[in-house]
Amino acid sequence: MVLITVRLPRGATLDMALRELRLKKEEVDVGYGVVAIDPDHGLYGLRVSAMAAHRLTATPEAMDGPWADPKIEPMGPSRKDR
Amino acid sequence: MRVLVQLRPSPDVVAAVADPAVTATAADVVNGLPGVLLDPTFTPVAVPRPLPARAGGDPLSLNQPLIFSMAPRDASVLVRGEIADDEVSTRLALLSGRGGVVGVYADPVIQTSLTCGGDGPVGGWRDVRRLLAVERLHAEGYDGSGVALTVTDTGVNQRHVSATLGADFVLDRERSWSPDGVSGRPGEFDVDHGTMCAFDALLAAPKASVIDIPVLLSRRPGGSALDGLLSDAMAAFAHLRTVLDAQPAESRALVVTNSWGSFSPDWDFPPGHPGNYSDNPAHPFNLIVGSLAAAGADILFAAGNCGRECPDGRCAYPDQPITGANSHPAVLSVAGVDVTGERVGYSSQGPGRLADRKPDLAAYTHFAGSGAFGPGEPDSGTSAACPVAAGVVAAIRSRVPSTVLSPSDLRTLLVRSADDRGVLGYDYDYGYGVVNVPGIVEALHARASETRTAEGRPWLVS
Repeated sequence: MVLITVRLPRGATLDMALRELRLKKEEVDVGYGVVAIDPDHGLYGLRVSAMAAHRLTATPEAMDGPWADPKIEPMGPSRKDR
Repeated sequence: MRVLVQLRPSPDVVAAVADPAVTATAADVVNGLPGVLLDPTFTPVAVPRPLPARAGGDPLSLNQPLIFSMAPRDASVLVRGEIADDEVSTRLALLSGRGGVVGVYADPVIQTSLTCGGDGPVGGWRDVRRLLAVERLHAEGYDGSGVALTVTDTGVNQRHVSATLGADFVLDRERSWSPDGVSGRPGEFDVDHGTMCAFDALLAAPKASVIDIPVLLSRRPGGSALDGLLSDAMAAFAHLRTVLDAQPAESRALVVTNSWGSFSPDWDFPPGHPGNYSDNPAHPFNLIVGSLAAAGADILFAAGNCGRECPDGRCAYPDQPITGANSHPAVLSVAGVDVTGERVGYSSQGPGRLADRKPDLAAYTHFAGSGAFGPGEPDSGTSAACPVAAGVVAAIRSRVPSTVLSPSDLRTLLVRSADDRGVLGYDYDYGYGVVNVPGIVEALHARASETRTAEGRPWLVS
């Protein structure tokens, strides 16, 4: 799964995103859902399969990305280090 | 940057400096140097001139015989000063053409050693409370009451924090949030890094309501236990936007402490790639950070543990290790000092990748605190410094909501009142200095005495 961003109306739902982007449920990280990045400007994020992202890049006005989704770690020790 | 400036003044001045019976000052040697703050406490030092012992020899050779002449016509004089970090190249260029200046040299700090990972604790959490002037904060009503203090980390163990702190605190289960697939209840996660962060944040703001967001426990494909993915943090910040928007304007106060980051460029697109995170303000996580801050949240990030003296073994950026949101202009990026006020050797140095002047300031770390990692183990890393600073911010917010003093203005107040360390003014080790609670309280008083809200209410909430 890769991270992409899309423009959708305020209050967008996953179903709305699937419809607008012509995506199947199995192409999307449903557990992650649609994340409002900047709701005032209709910017949302979702995780989709690499294939779906590749298909969407054919219509660049529909999406931006894929974006890096790096691993994040504590800036300090953890019990697993001990 | 501290510098030594080598000058060749007139022979009579050199003779005076070299005469042990005379105490010369920098002002006797040079009438000011543009852009250099001369140190009046440093007695100028005469430096002999190396001359080859044999004709045709090299005066700078380390192998050939030399004669060192202290004759006034040969010798030079050293004075000490400072050049602002962001003006070094310009000033050096100007100085090199100035009459009398022979050379300008770095004057690095020399010391036995800085506190590093693996060292035992330096002081304890009561020392941190004393240094933060917590009694004064609380006496003036800055205790975190009514403030949502979010810990985005590995989850909080409320029982452990309360037992160690010796006091109960409010764990806001209703507004806590977990990434999809994370099991466990808010406040009941295993004692680990997030528990340390909550403890350290509560040192200054014990009345804050802790929102528990175990974003680093996500097991989303691509991540692993105790590592999340940045997309999990993005979802967490989207949740926090709903928390913020639901708060009444007159008491809006959401503080978010983030003691995590990305250690390796291997997980990122390279800088310049449109999907890059580390250097790219257009990355969606950097956008959501800016958006949440603009909506009124105070966001703090650890500067990181990739300091040059003793970096964390995971550090993989060859330079500028303060990356992505940890270097975002709309967040407070926090470096670490021990309770003696010295920077810990692992605290990452700037400049940042999104904003140059990172870290912003420093706070205390490496002290005996939560005991989250076992007896005798310190609360360490900029991981501890960040929530210590976040606790101060949360304490302030109990009387000054973000609708009255914006996060940006509060950051300005914090850095302006910081206790300057390192070289004069801003530097990439300490930022603007160590968080200075009495200075902040005085600044708030000054502002309150001359300001009322737009509706005519007193500026400070009582």
